[in-house]
Amino acid sequence: MLLTPDFATRPVISFQHVHKTYPTGTEALRDINLEVPEGDFLFLVGPSGAGKSTLVRLLIREEKPSKGKIFVDGVELGRMKRRRLPHYRRKVGLVFQDFKLLPNLTVYENIAFALRVLGASDHQVRDRVAEALDTVSLYGKESTYPANLSGGEQQRVAIARALVHAPRFIIADEPTGNLDPATAWEIMQLFLRINARGATVVMATHNREIVDLLRRRVIAIDAGQIARDDRSGRYHDDFAKSEVRA
Amino acid sequence: MILRNLKFALNSAWQSFWRNLAVSLAAVLSITLILILAGINLLVGHAFSQVLDGFRTKVSQISINVSDDTPLQSVYDYQAQLAADPRVASVKFVTKDEALTQFKSDPQNFILAQQIEGNPLDAKLDVQVKSLDDVAAIDATARQWPGVDPTDPTNYQGDFINRMLQLSAWLGLAGDGLLVVLLIVSIVIVMNTIRTAVYHRRKEIEVMKLVGATEWFVRGPFVLEGVMTGLIAASIALALLAVGYEPVVTRFRADIGFIPLSYDPAFISSLARDLLVAGALLGALGSYIGVRRYVRI
Repeated sequence: MLLTPDFATRPVISFQHVHKTYPTGTEALRDINLEVPEGDFLFLVGPSGAGKSTLVRLLIREEKPSKGKIFVDGVELGRMKRRRLPHYRRKVGLVFQDFKLLPNLTVYENIAFALRVLGASDHQVRDRVAEALDTVSLYGKESTYPANLSGGEQQRVAIARALVHAPRFIIADEPTGNLDPATAWEIMQLFLRINARGATVVMATHNREIVDLLRRRVIAIDAGQIARDDRSGRYHDDFAKSEVRA
Repeated sequence: MILRNLKFALNSAWQSFWRNLAVSLAAVLSITLILILAGINLLVGHAFSQVLDGFRTKVSQISINVSDDTPLQSVYDYQAQLAADPRVASVKFVTKDEALTQFKSDPQNFILAQQIEGNPLDAKLDVQVKSLDDVAAIDATARQWPGVDPTDPTNYQGDFINRMLQLSAWLGLAGDGLLVVLLIVSIVIVMNTIRTAVYHRRKEIEVMKLVGATEWFVRGPFVLEGVMTGLIAASIALALLAVGYEPVVTRFRADIGFIPLSYDPAFISSLARDLLVAGALLGALGSYIGVRRYVRI
């Protein structure tokens, strides 16, 4: 069953006139205004260097906005104290193109790692990791090291790690970038399932096929600005053309 | 939860120590050498203070020479007066005859004693002063006493004593300065070890940050690793110093007899405490500064 995001309620993510200029002078984002209701599934699309990754970095508070405000779950990220940051990140599950798995830990240990840093008991770790492994269909691979897994399997481990602490938000930066189309599609099914359970998903992607097939909300970013916000959009051909031109 | 976090931190620290074994061993070795130097400094300081204590006892005794025409009763009165002084430990009256006997009994005076006719020596009051700081004051009052020999009132050599005390103060200061330099060097070494450990574990740190580890959860293992490095180094340094202490003192005494150096086994336990505490603190401080600099959430 799919949950329909409620656009009438207060948004859980809100960007208000957000600008980001890096110390080098590069203006990565200009006057971004964006509202995301709870349970939304949102694609961030746009050519390389458009500002998608900066937006993701702002959202996980790796960067602060130069101007404007970002609210997540009622908290303004720019004013958040550094010591509160870990607690904020525990509400978020992160998935990256390069998986960011620890090569010297097994699949089980990699997923358990996210719980260990929260101080979970062995008992809690066992139960939750088993549940997460079940969600991503990786049962039987617990003792395998990442190097012995395929790209798709590695990304599934990363997703299991991202959702093992039951986050309210999943933020994914090009999660299918390193995967073949069939595997990418499998991974997308996983994200849809997590979204159906109630988690809000924000995903930066270049994968036109998937965006066009799923017809979810699409925010197109171009030259640091929001060029388009479609509630059930497509990747849009304009970007494809501009990418080809570039 | 604190126990679980501590277990995790100890595990990580131990793993990191072995994973970067070359760097860890280099750090242990450097800090061991520094702590050995610091230990030698403390041992030499201790030996010197023992020698100085002996010297203090010697120089805190002065002889007041009594003029030949002073009546005996006046000498006894002054002896009683000195004995009643709270700064004075004891006063002994040495008659002219006793002084001559003492002089003659010293083999160094053998030739001179044969040429002496009569008794040119003064009777004297040997005064043992409790504190070296009061010797000058006792000397000053003795010189005011009418019964003193005006040509050679006392054997007090204030200048020499002051110089010795000054020298010992300077040596102490130089020792302390050397200790400070050694401590700073070891802190820098630990900082650099931690920087390497942070570099090796940067992926792990990144993942920790992203999954919401607190700053101290990330930093804790590095600080523990620093403490571990310091404690291992301190233990090795201590073992080497404890083994080498007695033979070196014995050898030194055999070669340079006039400096009364002594072996003090009780000092080993205080040295152990100092070195282990210093090792742990150095490790903790160096790695604390290191992680504050290199691990940011």
